[in-house]
Amino acid sequence: MLVSKNRATNSLLKSEKRSLFRFLTLYVAMVSLLFGLIGVLYYQSAQKLMLSDRRADLTKYAYIQTKRLKLLHHFFDEKRTYPRDPRFVSAIYDIELVPIFSLLEQPQIAFDKEIYIIGDKIHFIKTLDTYYLGAKYLILEVENSGAWLENFWRDVILYGLVAFVLFMLLGLYLAKLFVKPMRNSMVLLDRFIKDTTHELNTPLTAILANIEMMDQEIMAEKNRKKLTRITVAAKMVSVLYRDLTYLILEQEKESIEETIALKALIEERVEYFDILARSKQITIELKLAKVSLVMDRQKCIRVLDNLLSNAIKYNHQGGRIVIVLREGYLSIEDTGVGIAHKQIPLMFDRYMRFNQSEGGFGIGLSIVKKIIDEKGLDIHVTSKEGRGTKMVIVW
Amino acid sequence: MGLTLVGVAEGVYERNCVPCHQALPSTLQQMFKRYLLVYSGEKNLKASIKHYLQYPDRSISVMSDLFIQRYGIKSKSWLSDAELDEAIEVYWDQFKVFGRLQ
Repeated sequence: MLVSKNRATNSLLKSEKRSLFRFLTLYVAMVSLLFGLIGVLYYQSAQKLMLSDRRADLTKYAYIQTKRLKLLHHFFDEKRTYPRDPRFVSAIYDIELVPIFSLLEQPQIAFDKEIYIIGDKIHFIKTLDTYYLGAKYLILEVENSGAWLENFWRDVILYGLVAFVLFMLLGLYLAKLFVKPMRNSMVLLDRFIKDTTHELNTPLTAILANIEMMDQEIMAEKNRKKLTRITVAAKMVSVLYRDLTYLILEQEKESIEETIALKALIEERVEYFDILARSKQITIELKLAKVSLVMDRQKCIRVLDNLLSNAIKYNHQGGRIVIVLREGYLSIEDTGVGIAHKQIPLMFDRYMRFNQSEGGFGIGLSIVKKIIDEKGLDIHVTSKEGRGTKMVIVW
Repeated sequence: MGLTLVGVAEGVYERNCVPCHQALPSTLQQMFKRYLLVYSGEKNLKASIKHYLQYPDRSISVMSDLFIQRYGIKSKSWLSDAELDEAIEVYWDQFKVFGRLQ
């Protein structure tokens, strides 16, 4: 399905990033493991090839040395000088693996192998059919030049890097495919919200306007309570509507910066939510200093409304909210349900909801974070499950 | 052909081996080299000499057929195990290759 993307969905959410990070970590680990395995196999293959090349020469040397040993054996009464050759050094061992004579620089010998590398030397072992001088094993030692190793590293670095880059590009492509379904579902949800928001405006405005026009003085107590409940519900829907409107339309607009008297604005928003707080017997304590902040008013309201409505929504019946404002500091602390420590980093993700008992789309805090980030402010959350949450904004 | 041993006394090798072998065209050293060619290691070689002295047989002799045809197979040794070991030890020390190559 083809879905369009807006600015909000182009940036990755934390949960998306985490999934992507896990996928990429696993992918890089698998690719590294694969490359390591291929490298080891290639190393062994290159080594075998080199030894195979050397084996031909060493077999020839061993044949020559055997003939010399034969001569020495027959003339041992007169000659006692072990035959030497500038191309190699050698040793002879008897059937009990005891050295009869040795010129080797690397004395450790693996008798179960025919040819092998030891340190900077190559050993070639020839088992003699006739034990001249009692020798069953003739060991030849030559220099391991290391040229093959240089070629090996050159190939590994050259081809390995090219292959690694290709695999990484493939990994990025796969990662995009990996997050695409997640992204698509969010784009679809965005579109759904956008479509439904347009339909909310007219009825909501009508409800709120008519509530305000009602004369509650002449209303029976029973009806007044019902009207209060309607007002609370309508205001909650109104906050949601404004969030959705902000998300879809206003965030794209240029900010209109102005100096906001924060104390007055907070008091105004508390007044707005007063009926909502009273419906849960929540007391709101204000410790407000006269502080002003240069910011877009509508955005500031979105931040305050969301933090306040959350503090009320997730508070206990008869709970308490403390709002502290001083220069460069605003905190809203509630005595509500709180949130698990490990979930705090995810709480600003869009559509992220931790409590299904309360309504909402899970967009409020993502809007708060977006505005806070855009303005260059900092937000800190401390929370304890069952004890409450404290949101602190500093600037 | 193997060694001929005839007495039990000090210098068991000189007394029991050397005299008879002096009469043979193949020296004790040449015979030692034949043993080396076939048996290689010290333990192997000593054990094979001892076995041949105790149970001499044409099939296990290291000498050539021509030599055997001419001089035959030695008679079974009556020296004790200890005497045989001592004589063989002297023989080994006298002709071994170990430590003699330069």
